[in-house]
Amino acid sequence: MEPATTKPVATKRERYYRQSLGAVYGRIKQSRVLMVGAGGIGCELLKNLVLTGFAEVHIVDLDTIDLSNLNRQFLFRHEHIKKSKALVAKESAGKFNPHVKLEAHHANIKDPQFNIDWFASFQLVFNALDNIDARRHVNKMCLAANVPLIESGTTGFNGQVQVIIKGKSECYDCNTKETPKTFPVCTIRSTPSQPIHCIVWAKSYLFTEVFGTSEDEVPEFDHTEDSENAAEIENLRKEAHALKEIRQSMGSDDFPRKIFEKVFTDDIHRLRNMEDMWKMRQKPTALDFETVSKSNGGEVGDSVAKRDQDTWNLAENFTVFCDSLRRLSRRLQQAQGGEANGVSHVLSFDKDDDDTLDFVASSANIRSIIFGIEPRSKFDIKQMAGNIIPAIATTNAMTASLCVLQAFKIMRGDLNKAKMVFLERSGARVVNSESLRPPKPDCPVCGIMSSRLVVDPLRATLNDLVQGILKSDLGYGDEFSINNEVGTLYDPDLEDNLSKKFSELGVGADSFLTIIDDDEENPRVNLSLSISEKSLPEDSKPVVLSQSLDIPRKRTVDTSQAVEHTNGTTEPPAAPGKRKRAGSSSLDEPGIEGQKVAKRGKVQDTDQEDDLILVDGPSQGAIVIDD
Amino acid sequence: MTARPLTPPPLQGPTAKEKKYDRQLRLWAASGQQALEDAHVLLLNGGSPGVVGVETLKNLILPGIGSYTIVDGNVVAEKDLGINFFLTDHSLGKSRADETCKYLTELNPDVQGYPVQKSLRDFLGSAIPSDAPDRLSSLTNPNALDKYSLVLFVASKQNYPLLRLVSSYCAAKALPLFYLHSLGLFSHFSTQLPDPFPIVDTHPDPTSTQDLRLLDPWPELQAFAKSKTENLNTLSNHDHGHVPYLLLLLRFLTDWRESHDGNPPSEYREKKEFKSLVESKARTDNPEGGEENFDEAAAAVLKSLNKPSLPSGLRQVLEDPSSKQLQQDSANFWLIANAIQKFHQKHGSLPLPGALPDMKAQSQDYIQLQNIYKAKSRRDIEEVTNSLRSTEADLKRQTPVEAKEIESFCKGAAFVKLIKGQPLPVYAPNAKAPPTSLQNILDDEDSLLPIFLAFQAYDHWLHENSNTTPQTDPSAPFSSSSSSSSEEAKPPLEALKQSATQTIDLNAAGDGPQINADDIMPRIEPILAEFVRAAGAELHNISALTGGMVAQEVIKVLTKQYIPIDNTCVFDGIASKSAVFRL
Repeated sequence: MEPATTKPVATKRERYYRQSLGAVYGRIKQSRVLMVGAGGIGCELLKNLVLTGFAEVHIVDLDTIDLSNLNRQFLFRHEHIKKSKALVAKESAGKFNPHVKLEAHHANIKDPQFNIDWFASFQLVFNALDNIDARRHVNKMCLAANVPLIESGTTGFNGQVQVIIKGKSECYDCNTKETPKTFPVCTIRSTPSQPIHCIVWAKSYLFTEVFGTSEDEVPEFDHTEDSENAAEIENLRKEAHALKEIRQSMGSDDFPRKIFEKVFTDDIHRLRNMEDMWKMRQKPTALDFETVSKSNGGEVGDSVAKRDQDTWNLAENFTVFCDSLRRLSRRLQQAQGGEANGVSHVLSFDKDDDDTLDFVASSANIRSIIFGIEPRSKFDIKQMAGNIIPAIATTNAMTASLCVLQAFKIMRGDLNKAKMVFLERSGARVVNSESLRPPKPDCPVCGIMSSRLVVDPLRATLNDLVQGILKSDLGYGDEFSINNEVGTLYDPDLEDNLSKKFSELGVGADSFLTIIDDDEENPRVNLSLSISEKSLPEDSKPVVLSQSLDIPRKRTVDTSQAVEHTNGTTEPPAAPGKRKRAGSSSLDEPGIEGQKVAKRGKVQDTDQEDDLILVDGPSQGAIVIDD
Repeated sequence: MTARPLTPPPLQGPTAKEKKYDRQLRLWAASGQQALEDAHVLLLNGGSPGVVGVETLKNLILPGIGSYTIVDGNVVAEKDLGINFFLTDHSLGKSRADETCKYLTELNPDVQGYPVQKSLRDFLGSAIPSDAPDRLSSLTNPNALDKYSLVLFVASKQNYPLLRLVSSYCAAKALPLFYLHSLGLFSHFSTQLPDPFPIVDTHPDPTSTQDLRLLDPWPELQAFAKSKTENLNTLSNHDHGHVPYLLLLLRFLTDWRESHDGNPPSEYREKKEFKSLVESKARTDNPEGGEENFDEAAAAVLKSLNKPSLPSGLRQVLEDPSSKQLQQDSANFWLIANAIQKFHQKHGSLPLPGALPDMKAQSQDYIQLQNIYKAKSRRDIEEVTNSLRSTEADLKRQTPVEAKEIESFCKGAAFVKLIKGQPLPVYAPNAKAPPTSLQNILDDEDSLLPIFLAFQAYDHWLHENSNTTPQTDPSAPFSSSSSSSSEEAKPPLEALKQSATQTIDLNAAGDGPQINADDIMPRIEPILAEFVRAAGAELHNISALTGGMVAQEVIKVLTKQYIPIDNTCVFDGIASKSAVFRL
């Protein structure tokens, strides 16, 4: 096959999409877009971009390929497991269209190399991510770089696509996102009453104490009630310490016994003795290692752990507990043995790592039995412990295609025709769309002023910003603070840093400072400054704003506009709502090719901005995750 | 380690296959996966460019259908490469069936793919009489499609007679059939499901499935409620705040009945009154200033205090003749339905599902309550099973219905759904859609139904012109193998409009309200204009989306889980919206 770069060949190849896309095709053909995430949506998206003529696509993903990806992430095969998603996606998709320029970065999108200038070099960014943190970051960067962002996510049969354009539509953070559930420490450690309490105990306490680092900073733990239970918290610290001691005997034959007797016998006895605790609750029943191991009686075969959909009995859980403990010990010791310098290795829980899952499932169930709670199957525990989101090819295919449809509108410059789109399994309509809502005035991310701050790293001090820019140029009063990711650098009561250079404060290129105005009467909106470093002439100020700023004031409650649009979350209005628009059908929003539309008579073209909206609410909350 | 391990090591599990499919097993479970793996899907991809069919297959191969066959007589052309992901430069000039099959199979080594390089006409049998296209006997092999579980038919030029033939065949053999169309920014698909097509595992919203029987408690539940609430007023604050809300409601219902001639609160007003009564019983002099269990009780009044009624979906099943007149070879589904019908007749209620919602309670009370519900559920299932067994004996059936099947039907009985499949709503010279669908367009200015009518007109035009414009491959509307036609013929807008007017007139010729084509045409014309502009071209993105939608419905149909679209779906890529119609 001769290289297909000659014009006539390329044209033939393009015939179908050129035909369908019309005028916007020219722009697509010269576009440079960024795709963050090469997972479920990402694979589909890349295929669609490549086959609709997008010229240059950059792919960023730090993840590697796992077996459980293969049921939907179709650019990956069995032989790619453990390889970089970004690189393999580029390679697989590139094979099918040699005419597109693909660039892959096996890296974290939060890395400093991906700075605002880099983001600004794209016409459009697609988010196809699996976590809120990275989504927020890209949202922030796109706002700062003023690049349109198409945000997407799926869970099971549901999917969602949101177009984010600075100043025109809600940003990702305009609506608060659901945060993961947390539990009081005492509920997990002393008084569990539900299966999930025992699962969190097994995963975040027992597993980490035995194989990981330490229990102290586990996100699932809610420490707000600690002070009320100071005595018990102190006891629990001692328990954890004792468990660490036992860790030393890892690898010995009686290691499982020691762990078992510690957490399922001795600790339970201690708890039982806290009479106050059990006045209103059922006392737990301590287990005896000998008795349980004999109850086994050789009946339990070696295939227990395979039966992951059944609920195991005590003897079965016991078998899996002892065995998985040995498997994990061996792994940890082998890892440590390989290192000469005694670096301490740890294992971390992974839902797809059967050794860790077996251990967590069996110990959670044994604890459940002790507390009279119903045990669960390994399959269920995997979902509960691993925060597994169901994911299938079909939903990803639809969601990615909807992203590209929105991209067409952005490429045409029809920003006000871009949509928020929902996919649902139930209801009469599979795909619903609604108009974008305007940005929330009080959004902490987009309801702010942002600017570039050029800093001469050799000379600039924090005071140059405080006095030279904020107070004199911008007219700030005394009540304001300067913050970065780490914390507050300056406020009226914290002046120690004023004489320090930016570099001493850890404020380098491409980091952000947020200026919060605390003026009581009429505060300015927050000012976000992204730092560029550049040596400036001696006679100029060492700190310069890249543009002159007119910072708006924080709005007090704006009722006039908020009523219609502020309904809380990213969910559409409750089902089954149906708003009708007077005047015309969906078709007066012309097809992609404006010219032809004009020819066929643009009579109904008066009412385009508010396209018709048919909305059914999804059955549950905001869709946040896909991988 | 040298010592003998205390217990033998368990095998590493689950299997690699279970791991690969983990994320989808959470949606359709092992039973659904098995159904997929047992399926053989047939794609009749006579159309050009045919990307929508290939994209659909992709989304079925990834989750692991057993096998698929692609029938496609076309040869890969340059322009196919631009929009079909499953072709490469090396595919040029080769069989499109072979090439797409080759690259699709790479997606999942567990799936078998079979290419057939034949036109649909050749594949189905050449002797199709034009006067009676649905005569099955015209097939050279009347069992040609028997080995397939489901048929995907992509719109093509020779649509009408072939589609009629396949549609009749599938109806006769209870084989699900999908008809797909993707053109420019629009797409459409319709399903032809067997009649009847029952679904037991509909996956209802978990919050809607609670059946607590508070108005009709059985003795064990009543006794437990009594024992826990007898001395309600003298309980300690802690105990009072931990009485499960179900038991509180049962207690207050007993009180209510005493002062209301034995009747529970039924009307809305009474329920509100009852709710206030429940709220008034909560203690507020405790440190929390209220009680969570009483809040739960009050919140449950409106939704939980309903007389048991037979949901319409299930009623349809129980009243179906197949359920009442059992044969020796009746499907298990009907046998179970029959037994449940008897149960309902006797008790006035369905078998208890037995699931309990989370609630504020002490662990041991909750567990006891759970056991009371489970025990009742088990007894009910046992009763249904016994009656079913005696029916089996009467009918002299050889293989008994599996207990698991009976159980899942009993537990989901309220949500069982029966779809009465009907023929594909496609253009046919003498067939017509109900005029109500046209009225729908006039009544609802946002209706997407005009897209369907535009596709009908397009099919009509293709059919009318299939013999006048010679093609190298008669099954392709715009032949992709023809090298001579550098600039392919666009369908003339006027001709399409004429076709549309005809189809509307045909559709409107029923007994219903008189509908004037002139009222509807302005809604269809813009879509036809888009069709003309697309000139037979598929947009990959629209076909990918449609392939996702179709595959999702195929999975529902194959697994018999969730409720599939019945029977027509259109997608508007300009508005990013879809709509579903039963036509």
